[in-house]
Amino acid sequence: MKRLYHSIIKETKVIIRDKEALLLLFAMPTAFVLIMSLAMKDAFGDKGNAAFSVVIIDNDRSVVGETVTEVFSFIPAFKVEMALPGGITDPVKIQDDVNAGRHKFAVIIPEGATKGAVRRIRQQLAFTKKGPAKEVSIRLFADPALRPDQNHLAASTLNRALQGIENRLLWEQFGEVSGVTPQGSLKETAEVLRANKPFAEVYPESPASNVQGAHKRPPMPTAVQQSVPAWSLFAMFMLIIPLSVTFIKERQQGALLRLRSMPAPAWVIICGKAAPFCVINQLQFVSMLLVGIYVVPLLGGDALTIEGGSYAGIAIVSMSASLAAVGYGVMASVFCKTAEQATTFGGTSVIIFGALGGIMVPKFLMPPVMQKITVISPMGWGLDAFLDIFVRGGGVRDILTASGALLIFAIACAITAGARFKYLSR
Amino acid sequence: MAHDCIIEAQGLVKTYPGADRPAVAGIDLRIKKGAFYGVLGPNGAGKTTTLSICSGLMRPDSGLLDIAGLDIRKDLTEIKGIIGLVPQETAVYPTLTARENLLYFGAMQGLSGDRLKTRVDYCLDVARLTPLADKRVETFSGGLKRRLSLVAGLIHEPKILFLDEPTVGIDPQSRLFIYESLKKMNSSGMTIVYTSHYMEEVETLCAEISIIDRGVIIAEGRVDDMVIRHSGSVIEVRLNAPPPEALRQKVSALPHVSGALFDAKTFTVKSAKPQQTIGDIMRLMEESNLNILSLCHGGLSLEKLFISLTGAKLRE
Repeated sequence: MKRLYHSIIKETKVIIRDKEALLLLFAMPTAFVLIMSLAMKDAFGDKGNAAFSVVIIDNDRSVVGETVTEVFSFIPAFKVEMALPGGITDPVKIQDDVNAGRHKFAVIIPEGATKGAVRRIRQQLAFTKKGPAKEVSIRLFADPALRPDQNHLAASTLNRALQGIENRLLWEQFGEVSGVTPQGSLKETAEVLRANKPFAEVYPESPASNVQGAHKRPPMPTAVQQSVPAWSLFAMFMLIIPLSVTFIKERQQGALLRLRSMPAPAWVIICGKAAPFCVINQLQFVSMLLVGIYVVPLLGGDALTIEGGSYAGIAIVSMSASLAAVGYGVMASVFCKTAEQATTFGGTSVIIFGALGGIMVPKFLMPPVMQKITVISPMGWGLDAFLDIFVRGGGVRDILTASGALLIFAIACAITAGARFKYLSR
Repeated sequence: MAHDCIIEAQGLVKTYPGADRPAVAGIDLRIKKGAFYGVLGPNGAGKTTTLSICSGLMRPDSGLLDIAGLDIRKDLTEIKGIIGLVPQETAVYPTLTARENLLYFGAMQGLSGDRLKTRVDYCLDVARLTPLADKRVETFSGGLKRRLSLVAGLIHEPKILFLDEPTVGIDPQSRLFIYESLKKMNSSGMTIVYTSHYMEEVETLCAEISIIDRGVIIAEGRVDDMVIRHSGSVIEVRLNAPPPEALRQKVSALPHVSGALFDAKTFTVKSAKPQQTIGDIMRLMEESNLNILSLCHGGLSLEKLFISLTGAKLRE
């Protein structure tokens, strides 16, 4: 054990004295977590508190215009910006603004929209014998950069508002005939619209509501819930580069040869080298958690929340991922002949693992075929386990499979490295 | 195993994976306890492979090897505890200090506590590195690094020290220092096995040598004996002009001549009957109208002997 102790001390000193490389090991994932958490904030569904700016050009100034404005104002996903007096009201210019991304949506309500709606209802109720009433033309422009589901959210919000207005106006017209007049002002009409639930409401079943179900689907994290574990795992595996480079340098400088001529067991040399890198991995992960919890919100992003997840589970996944990364690094150092080879192989393979494992492109955004392919990436196993805890509130039991897979990967790498080392030492 | 031998090898064979011929093709070695033994050979001759096998870094494909009465196949860990290795490279950690390097290598050898500290201080003193003990090795000159590398191989007081070209690329002062240190260690009873390309240092240091070429030992014994033994059969001739190709062929074809090496205006021949060959050479020179400036028989240096045995052709 004394040999192991001295080996760990030696390796720690070697690592600590390369300050630039050490700094990079922490700066790189921090930058990724910050950039991706902030940049992807609006792309991660409704959990991201994304507020799409909506310009409502209310030329109606009556029930339709005011109710549409009220309904959009009520929904947190939208931030209503009314066109100011004297502002741009030309539909072409507004459309240009939206196309350029200055606003996400624009709703143009024409003059006389309420009158037109009433006329149409009255006609439908056969109060008038005139020909078919003209449809009221309300227009919705959407930023072409938005996803179809975001467009659909705006359209369904608008259509629900219009349907509510129609119901209200129908009720009013019907009351005039029957003598029963609805009570309340226009504002109250909007409130009724948003407070009154229909007799049944149907929503797509969310993964969170189906955690224990047989058809478990990828969870939908917030940007920070995705970025912190994803880029921490990426940084952990990136440790393959310094780890294999130090191994190869030791080999080239002859120090490994000297060590092999000594009675110290090979496992002491390997574990002595691997242990400080495992500690660095854990420090990297804790740093990224702290960045997610405290730094990202300071810059306008969402704070990382673990939502009842197990801290023991987090520690187990983090440690298993670290061992997998170190095992992979040891294997690379045995197979690569030069530091340049190790850097190229290490960097490329980690990026490929990252891309396949949902680090760069979140798994839930991938097509089903690609989602299936993510199972070949150990980073994907780690990320799934972290998301089980962060998003689904999972416990130790939920991450045992993924952690076990990471440990098996680590052992397989170590065995392969040992076999190759023996072959080379023949 | 002979009782006075500390290393005894019989029929060592080693072929690297993918190689078309063995690096070591049946080497027998007998190195006496307390010897200063030199292993010479051109590049790729098999010196480092032989040293790697003897120091337990590599297993031979076949053959027997006893180190201090221990079998290399069965008692490798014990053997590693009694040998020290100074590799071709400096083999130290540049970002650690000299003391930290020695502490680490000492601990890996199984030393601990006061014994480790005492040995580290002793080794620093032997290498005259005490004033620089706490400086990082990356700030050292090549000579200082070599001195540190040497004492790192001595940290555990090995019975046998293997040195693989330990003076490559260092200044004459550091080289002299290493010679003196090794002589002292050898006189205190340590067996030293030394490979080098520098014939002078082998002549100075080693009492016994073996010359390896193409994986086999082509000559071995005491340096003096070898030079005398082989000098008797070698004739060196210096001419006033380069010998033409036709003359070269005639010299090579002389009776009893087993090898001829030509180098500008000088040539060396190896003959089983040197007196007769000298007469033949003089006759040939006369016929060719070339003047002999000098003719030397029996005054060979180790370097000349080495070249005459291994050939002057460049090796890969």
